Amino acid sequence: MIEIKDLIKNFGNLKVLKGINLEITQGEVTVIMGPSGSGKSTLLRCINRLEDITSGTVIVDGHDVMDKKTDINFIRTEAGMVFQQFNLFPHKTALENVTLGLVKVRKKSTPEANILGKKLLEKVGLADKADTYPEHLSGGQKQRVAIARSLAMRPKAMLFDEPTSALDPELVGEVLDVMKQLSCEGMTMVVVTHEMGFAKEVADRVIFMDEGNIIEENTPEKIFTNPQHDRTKAFLKNIL
Amino acid sequence: MGFDFKSSVMWESVPILLIGLKWTILITIFGLAIGFVLGAGSGLLKISRNAFLRKLAGVYIESIRGTPIMVQVMFIYFGLPMALGMRINPMVAGILAIGLNSGAYIAEIVRGSFQSIEPGQAEAGRSIGLSHFQTMYYIIWPQALKRMIPSLGNQFIISLKDTSILVVVGVGELTRTGQEIIASNFRAFEVWITVALMYLVMTLSIAKLLNYIENKMDINK
Ligand SMILES: Nc1ncnc2c1ncn2[C@@H]1O[C@H](COP(=O)(O)OP(=O)(O)OP(=O)(O)O)[C@@H](O)[C@H]1O
Ligand SMILES: [Mg+2]
Repeated sequence: MIEIKDLIKNFGNLKVLKGINLEITQGEVTVIMGPSGSGKSTLLRCINRLEDITSGTVIVDGHDVMDKKTDINFIRTEAGMVFQQFNLFPHKTALENVTLGLVKVRKKSTPEANILGKKLLEKVGLADKADTYPEHLSGGQKQRVAIARSLAMRPKAMLFDEPTSALDPELVGEVLDVMKQLSCEGMTMVVVTHEMGFAKEVADRVIFMDEGNIIEENTPEKIFTNPQHDRTKAFLKNIL
Repeated sequence: MGFDFKSSVMWESVPILLIGLKWTILITIFGLAIGFVLGAGSGLLKISRNAFLRKLAGVYIESIRGTPIMVQVMFIYFGLPMALGMRINPMVAGILAIGLNSGAYIAEIVRGSFQSIEPGQAEAGRSIGLSHFQTMYYIIWPQALKRMIPSLGNQFIISLKDTSILVVVGVGELTRTGQEIIASNFRAFEVWITVALMYLVMTLSIAKLLNYIENKMDINK
C-alpha cells in the first residue's frame, strides 16, 4: 500500500529524515512514536507530498509520489491526512467542510454530496452538527469533522499526525473511538501518537523514531514490554 | 471690523458644491476600481513563487509608497504627456493617479491578509485533493478577503480624501469647486467649512457602512 525506500529529507542543511525504509500493507495500522523533532510529521508529510523529498522513493498504491507523471492531487485523495490542529475551514459549516472535496474534486452534485456528507457526519457521531460552524464545535468534534472530511474522498490510507494532542483529556476518547472503528473496517492507517492505550489496542506495529531514523519497530506488546533500544526505553519511561 | 458669519452663504454654496462632490465620488470609485485590480494583481504577484514577478510587483509598490501622491499626480498629468506626445484629460489623469496610488497600498493589504492565513489551511485544502488554484479560490481567498475588509475600507477613506490633491491639475472635484466659489464671493470661512463637512459626511458614512459589514460577517464565521 505504502512503500518508502531510502527516504532522505533535508531542510537546507538540516537533515530531518536520514534514510527511512518502511513498507505498510493494506489494512495495517502503524503507530509512530518518538521524541519531538525526530521527524515523525515530516515522514507523514512526505507520504502525501506536502513536502518534496530530497532523495529516495515513496510509492503510494503503486504511484511514485515524486514522479512527474503522477497526479499529486490524486495521491492526496488516496492518502487522507488528519492534522493536530484540525485545520477545519472556518468559513464553512461542518457539512460544507466534508462536501467541499466531493463537489470540487470528485465532481459530485451538491445534493449527492450532501447526502454522502451527512452519512459521514453520522458515522463520526455528529449528524446534528451539520450546519454548525467550526468555531462552535469542541476540539473533539472538530477533529471528528476533519476525519469525516478526509474520509469523504474515500482514501485508501489515512495519515494521522498527533490527532489528539491538541485536545483536552476528556475529549481524546471520542476521537480515538472513531479511529478504532476505522481500523476495524480495515482502513490502512499511519498514526503518529503517544497514546499507549490506542497503540496497544489497535496497532499492528509500533515504530520508534529518533533523530531522523527508525531505530526500533515491533508489535505493540513487544515494544512496550521489552524495548531493545536505550532511546526507546528512555522515551517510554517518560510517557508512562 | 468684526467677522460676521453668514450661514446663508453655506446654504447657497451647497448646490454648486454637490456638482464637485459628484466628481469626487466618481473619481474615487473609478480610481479604486483600478486600484483594486492593480492591488490584487500585484499583491498576489508579491507572494507568487516566481522571483522575477515578485521583484516586478515590489518595484511598483515601493516606488508608489515611497513618493508623494502630489508628485505622482504632477507626473501623470504634466510629465507623461511630454513622453507620449499627447495631452491627457485631467479627469482621466486623476482617476489614473488615484488608481495607481491606491493599488500599491491595496497590494500590501492583499499580501498581508493572504500571509496571515495559517499554512494549515492550504495544507488541509491540498490534502483533500484540491489543486493549488482551487485551494486559493475556495479556502484562502474567502478568509483573506474577510480580513482585508477593515484595511480596504480605510484605504477607501484615504483615497477619497486624496482626490482633493487633484486640485493642482484643475479637476473640478469638491475642493476645486470650493476654491472657485471663494474666488467669486470671498467667503473662505463658510465655504471651507461646508466643504470640510461634506468630506466628513462621506468618510463617516463609509466608516459606518464598514462597521455594519464587519458585524454582519462575524455572524457567519
Ligand atoms: N518547513 C520546515 N523548515 C525547516 N525545518 C523544518 C520544517 N519542518 C520541520 N522542520 C524541522 O525538522 C525537524 C523534524 O520536524 P518534525 O515536525 O518532523 O518533527 P516531529 O517528530 O513531528 O516533532 P513533534 O513531536 O514536535 O511534532 C525539526 O527539527 C523541525 O524543526
Ligand atoms: Mg510533529
